[in-house]
Amino acid sequence: MSRANIATWLAPFFARPIALAGLCVLVAMVVAAIFAPSLAPYDPYAIHPMIRLMPPDAAHWFGTDQYGRDTLSRAIYSARMALLIGSGVVFFALITGIPVGVFSALFPRLGHVLMRMVDVLMAFPSLLLALGLIVILGPSAANSILAIGAGYMTTTTRIIYGLTLRLRAETYVEASRSMGSGTIWLVVKHILPNLISPLLVQASFVFAFAQLGAASLDFLGLGAPPDIPSWGNMLAESRTFITRAPWLLTFPGMMIVLTAFSLNLVGDALRDRLDPRFRQVFGGEG
Amino acid sequence: MWSFAVKRTGTTAVTLLAASVIIFAFIHVVPGDPIYVLLGDTATSDQIDALRHQLGLDQPIIVQYLHWAGQALAGNLGRSIFFQAPVLSVIADGAETSTLLALITIVWVALIGVPIGMVAAVRHGTWLDQGLSGAAMLMASVPTFWVGLYLILIFAATLGWLPSSGYPSIFDGGLGNLRYLLLPSLTLAAPNAALILRLTRASMLDVSREDYVRTARAKGIRPWQVVRRHILRNALLTVVSAFGFTFAALLSEAVVTETVFALPGIGRLVVQSILRRDYPVIQGVILVIVVIYLVTNLIVDLSYRFLDPRVELQ
Amino acid sequence: MKFGLGLLVRGAATIATALILNAQASAAGMLREATIGEPPPLDVMVTTADVASVIGRHIFETLYAWDSTYTPRPMLADSDSVEDGGKTIIIKLRQGVQFHNGKEMTATDVVASMIRWGKFGARGKLLMANATLVEATGTYEVTLKLSAPNGAWKNLIADVNGGLAIYPEEIAAKAGNQPIEQTDYIGTGPYKFKEWRPNRYVELEKFDGYKPRREKSDGFAGARIANFDKIRFIPVPDVGTRVSGVQAGDYDYAEMISGDLYDTLSKDKSVQVHRSNAPIFGLFFMNSKEGILKDNYKLRRAIQTALDKSQALRVAFGPKDLWSAEGSIFPKETFWYSAAGVEGYSPHDAKKAKELAKEAGYTGTPIRLLVSTNYQAHYDEASVFTRQLADAGINVQMIVVDWATLLKMRGQSEQWDIFVTHHTFSPDPILFTFLNATYPGWWNSPEIQALRTELTNSSDQAARKATWDKIQALIYQQVPVMKVGDAYTYDIASPKLKGLNANGPAFWNVSTK
Repeated sequence: MSRANIATWLAPFFARPIALAGLCVLVAMVVAAIFAPSLAPYDPYAIHPMIRLMPPDAAHWFGTDQYGRDTLSRAIYSARMALLIGSGVVFFALITGIPVGVFSALFPRLGHVLMRMVDVLMAFPSLLLALGLIVILGPSAANSILAIGAGYMTTTTRIIYGLTLRLRAETYVEASRSMGSGTIWLVVKHILPNLISPLLVQASFVFAFAQLGAASLDFLGLGAPPDIPSWGNMLAESRTFITRAPWLLTFPGMMIVLTAFSLNLVGDALRDRLDPRFRQVFGGEG
Repeated sequence: MWSFAVKRTGTTAVTLLAASVIIFAFIHVVPGDPIYVLLGDTATSDQIDALRHQLGLDQPIIVQYLHWAGQALAGNLGRSIFFQAPVLSVIADGAETSTLLALITIVWVALIGVPIGMVAAVRHGTWLDQGLSGAAMLMASVPTFWVGLYLILIFAATLGWLPSSGYPSIFDGGLGNLRYLLLPSLTLAAPNAALILRLTRASMLDVSREDYVRTARAKGIRPWQVVRRHILRNALLTVVSAFGFTFAALLSEAVVTETVFALPGIGRLVVQSILRRDYPVIQGVILVIVVIYLVTNLIVDLSYRFLDPRVELQ
Repeated sequence: MKFGLGLLVRGAATIATALILNAQASAAGMLREATIGEPPPLDVMVTTADVASVIGRHIFETLYAWDSTYTPRPMLADSDSVEDGGKTIIIKLRQGVQFHNGKEMTATDVVASMIRWGKFGARGKLLMANATLVEATGTYEVTLKLSAPNGAWKNLIADVNGGLAIYPEEIAAKAGNQPIEQTDYIGTGPYKFKEWRPNRYVELEKFDGYKPRREKSDGFAGARIANFDKIRFIPVPDVGTRVSGVQAGDYDYAEMISGDLYDTLSKDKSVQVHRSNAPIFGLFFMNSKEGILKDNYKLRRAIQTALDKSQALRVAFGPKDLWSAEGSIFPKETFWYSAAGVEGYSPHDAKKAKELAKEAGYTGTPIRLLVSTNYQAHYDEASVFTRQLADAGINVQMIVVDWATLLKMRGQSEQWDIFVTHHTFSPDPILFTFLNATYPGWWNSPEIQALRTELTNSSDQAARKATWDKIQALIYQQVPVMKVGDAYTYDIASPKLKGLNANGPAFWNVSTK
């Protein structure tokens, strides 16, 4: 990317400091996830019954849980799960949404049928859809990605469909087509590059809400197995002790909020940078 | 107008039909022999034979689907393995709790989201607006069950003002029992109020840019009257349509809230049925909720169209 | 628009008023217990689940009942005599005892119940397998003839859990191995079954035709006076919710509270703490019927070698005075206490465990551990052990379900390799579920068969104790179960309740101050 491009990408963040803060938080999150083994002060799995349920102190900044595990270490390792689920869901949504959305817009008759099928999937409220898929596939982190992804696949597809329709109406695309260019070439040269910015916006929002969805599934016991560190699992285990050890409730929850909020801020800032005709697809706020 | 109504109803019916096929397939896609999926692993051979005959499991899948759909229309959604009772009655048992919860939540969402959204729109661009919009976005980033657990910690466990769980029916103990739904409804309302807040603000701003509003302003009508007469009414239409979506979505989001507060509603029923592998109930609940969802959206769409003939339809 | 707003305001005001008035939820004369979860069907003969017997003991009664020292005392029986070297037992019944349907209990009801229990009851075969004759030898007299004496017969029929509850003849006669229908929950107890609303509660109501015994009540024995008109058992799987429910006055009694909360709750004026008088012990059952652990005793010993049970007990039960890492199956103060084999109880040697596992031919296949969330202690023990076993290279996969599902799944041998439960105090080893070949786990090696016969066929306590020592040694050698440790559980109740039963939740004789 050229320097000019990077500058334009970062401009909305400098215009709105809080969005910049959000971006920094996300970068920190990614760093924490990647370097978790070095950053975490203790083994997130190690059980130390003698120091269970200790409030935050110098040795354990976030306190310990009912098994004596260090909450801070578990929270840091949970960033990995958050990153994994988020990227998985976004990837799944895009990998299904782009082909279906783009081709539906370019080939109206096929598109009509495919969009109908998407409509049918949208008749299922997203959490119910996720639960249904978990029942069929079985609870696990990988299946959480599919289950949550199914819900966002529909909205993403619709958005891409709408975007491609608008692009298709652009004169240069029409001209290109009349000159006889092949569809694939058209897609690669004209459609996809123009989809990058709006898709980045969509990815931010999907990543954000995937955190909440994954946390809900984990909380219900239908996501990642219980001893795997994830913020949702930590919150599920904290339930019995909310009066005795409220720090177990506070820290994991704060991490989820921090992550989702930062992603929303980033998505908002990016959306403002979007071409107005695309902004509408996201329900622009003016 | 009527042709639109017919067409829209038709679309809903087709969507429902397609969704029902997926829901029907659920039992066959879950791991295990459908017979044991439906009866549970301790079924006796008599029960197996009876069900096999009743469902026509040796017949082509289309026939099976038609049979199932016919039964569903007649109100027979199968039999719960755990409760040994008709699925529909098990669901009906939870209906009171979930419906009341949804209604009270909608009240909160309306009382909080709409006025604050209006304020943000009217004070567009100021610090107040930025603060409110930011707070709304923050609210939408918070997991509902975390809000719920915190509310329990503060108001139930520490202060003792409100109960932390359960819901004795108002038909048993009087209207006072509604206090059991206070914390749960606030929990559910939080992210939805945030959404409605942003929606109200956005649609009011959109409308305020419309020509007829600018005309009104130019004509010298006082700002407050402009808001009341033109902006509010038209913006609220958008918001009202969102409420339909919200109500139906609430039935699904309530799953986690009902679990946190141990409310005997349909949401918690789904989770417990999943943990108990009570597949007929899972299937039945999904069907019922999808029906409610589609019908609610249909009604909202039609009323929206009815209330404002100027609305453009895609 | 204005009208709508007005309506909203008025609606809000109504709700606010109701909130301010804060109507009391407790109806007069009703006791509400928060239980760990939805019970299975209440056919107490065929289920050993505590949640069923806690409710069931109010509805159904047994011929004998345990007092607070766990000695069986007459309940529906009046007296008994044993002849022919212990092979003939004659029981004389109380007269004028009524079933909830108005019928009087006679010997034919008892006989029909014994036959059904013998065929399908959870513990029935332990006594009735050797029965050659059971018949009504009088309107109020039952004779049981055994092919060999059974020293534990009174204890066997005193336990309502999977035990000989007395059902009316018509119901017992047509009952098979499936649980009886709710309409057939007819017993002789001080409360009768009223209603079961799934997910909400099971409700019992006072039985006016109940004639209590004349002796002073002691444990489960003696007089049972129903003070409350109704009892509701409400399933509340989350322990935090059970606790806050009692504190807030939504429930009058809540069972199985976490040890961690013991210290704070003991000082809390809004609840009274009710400790059990006898410890329970956690049990991890191995699958002896099929699967990777079927007869691989070495692998089982490898598993037990890896475990540090004190850690699990600490996590599951909290303060040290609520638990004890005791290898003997029976607690120290009892007659049956034994030190046989206890070196194998909790070696916590991960290295040795790894070697043993290798010798046993273990190559890393996941071992399926079935556990529920309703009993927090089970879940905690399982989590700790899974972690400890992972450190020893033994791969355990936890299958987490709710208790009702576990009860079903544990009956299907292809679904699990280990499952977690606990055992309440038993005064006689014959009552242990793991000595019962039909109980999930299905331990029935030739050695235990021989020892079991030895244990039942003698009435000489000293001889039976010697047999028990051998059995315990065998338990540590063949590891059909792993004992976690002794734990004193406690329940909590409203401070207004008095007369709580020392043996466990039983709400006759209970009243408000």
